[in-house]
Amino acid sequence: MNLRTARILTCIYLALALFFVTWPGLKPFARIEPLVLGLPFSMAWIAGWIAGSVFVLYGLDRVERRHRDGEGS
Amino acid sequence: MQQWVVVSIIIGAYLALTLTIGLLAGRKSSDSVTGYVAADRSFGLLVMYFVTGASVFSAFAFLGGPGWAYSRGAAAFYILAYGALGMAPFYWVGPRAAALGRKFGYVTQAQLVVGRFPSRTLSALIAGLSLIAFVPYITLQMRGAGIVIEAVTDGNIPIWLGSLVAYGIVIFYVLASGAMAVGWTNTFQGVFMVIIAWSLGLYLPYRLYGGVTPMFEQIMDVRPEMLVPPGLTATGEPWSWGAYSTFIIVSAVGLMMWPHLFMKAFTAKDDDTMRRTVILFPTFQLFLIPVFLIGFSGILFTGGPSSADFILPYMILETGLPAVVVGLFCAGALSASMSTGDALLHASASVVVEDGITQFVKLDDRQRRLLMRILVLLTGATAYYFAQDAESSLVLLLATAYGVISQLAPPVVSAMYWKRATTSGVLAGLLAGTATSVFFYFNPDLRPFDMHEGVLGLIVHVPVLISVSLMTPIQNEKHLAGFFS
Repeated sequence: MNLRTARILTCIYLALALFFVTWPGLKPFARIEPLVLGLPFSMAWIAGWIAGSVFVLYGLDRVERRHRDGEGS
Repeated sequence: MQQWVVVSIIIGAYLALTLTIGLLAGRKSSDSVTGYVAADRSFGLLVMYFVTGASVFSAFAFLGGPGWAYSRGAAAFYILAYGALGMAPFYWVGPRAAALGRKFGYVTQAQLVVGRFPSRTLSALIAGLSLIAFVPYITLQMRGAGIVIEAVTDGNIPIWLGSLVAYGIVIFYVLASGAMAVGWTNTFQGVFMVIIAWSLGLYLPYRLYGGVTPMFEQIMDVRPEMLVPPGLTATGEPWSWGAYSTFIIVSAVGLMMWPHLFMKAFTAKDDDTMRRTVILFPTFQLFLIPVFLIGFSGILFTGGPSSADFILPYMILETGLPAVVVGLFCAGALSASMSTGDALLHASASVVVEDGITQFVKLDDRQRRLLMRILVLLTGATAYYFAQDAESSLVLLLATAYGVISQLAPPVVSAMYWKRATTSGVLAGLLAGTATSVFFYFNPDLRPFDMHEGVLGLIVHVPVLISVSLMTPIQNEKHLAGFFS
């Protein structure tokens, strides 16, 4: 993946995360059931977006690093 | 031996250990302003990770978080939502700020803004705004420390004494060692906090309800409104979507604008360390889950503390835990308070001296260090004074401070990313945004859609910054080249 695509995808993920944890994106998911790992659904939903950002940022970092290494050599 | 005596001994041992780590760390730092403010730019990944996490999670998260889950239910989820969003852009912003910091010798974010937009007024304005936001933040940390100590010692150590002793120690090691002490003590305190939060957050639901799932099933039967965003207000009415959403936005925008967090860009050893901290940061954020579980476990519990902020110590005392566990918990909560409080005190003094005073008076290195130490004492004393009779909720104290600090985001971002921005534009935007947010802070009934005053400030701030910048002449090429090469 090239750098530009990775950056755009990361920004899209962050924009979606913001949309889905605030009004109006959160509204359809603002419910209790089903419980996920014992947590109310909305809580698990928000935690899921946060946990997902670790993977997205990690992926971005791999691409960014490859790009920086390429520049250096 | 009485329980509170055992608890006091554990707290005493913990405080002594923190002090030792703080003082030992200082011996490695060089005797210069860069050493005191930016720790000789030498923090590695482990220290950076815990410094950032421990400074973000303060008494606010540790006591205010459970307090909100207990009294306002799902409203507390806003705290869970904003952190990762606020931190992520720092993957790019951080290294860029660091590069400019190394190139021009910046140690504070106001120096970065003023480096790009030369204006002493702007510098003093940023220093002033930071200080205004810092005092309630430090106040809530001190009060948090006092609350915990008073609650677990059955009132034998009152708030005034507990906060005095805990912050006496913080001020002592910040004065002696500067940023190095803050780094190493936060690593220690961060590890401690994570362990305490997870063990307690899982233990309480098991002990009282037989597990996390049964706990939420029972709450769902009795108080279902507590579990659905946007939750409740302090008086138990349904909270508005407008307020819930804008609390997330203002906190996400403001998060990295806190000088004590932004300055981490100047203390990082290298850019990779900083980027990895950003990537790992959401893992720290998830530690709010057990913290909320502690608060939720109190909802169906008979009786309740006098104020929601006391729910954590209340639950621990009411469920008959052994004294040693109570003592360890107390040390964890103190970690949360002190690890943020020290960073705040340190940053507020650095900002006022570097960005406020030295803009108008010429001082040498030694005088600046001395002045910073005097200011650490003065700021500490001011916050201590307010901590004695604050009545407002810990979360609301911080949310208010966020309204002020989020106004620093447009100047910082345009300094690094927008060539066409001008000094007049940035000044006009900052003044208009701050004035708007102050106006709505004092007139809460006039807020459209119940939005947070900081977001309303930004809605005015950004267009003013852009339009005034476009109306004034662009900065000269040579000056811009230094920032955008």
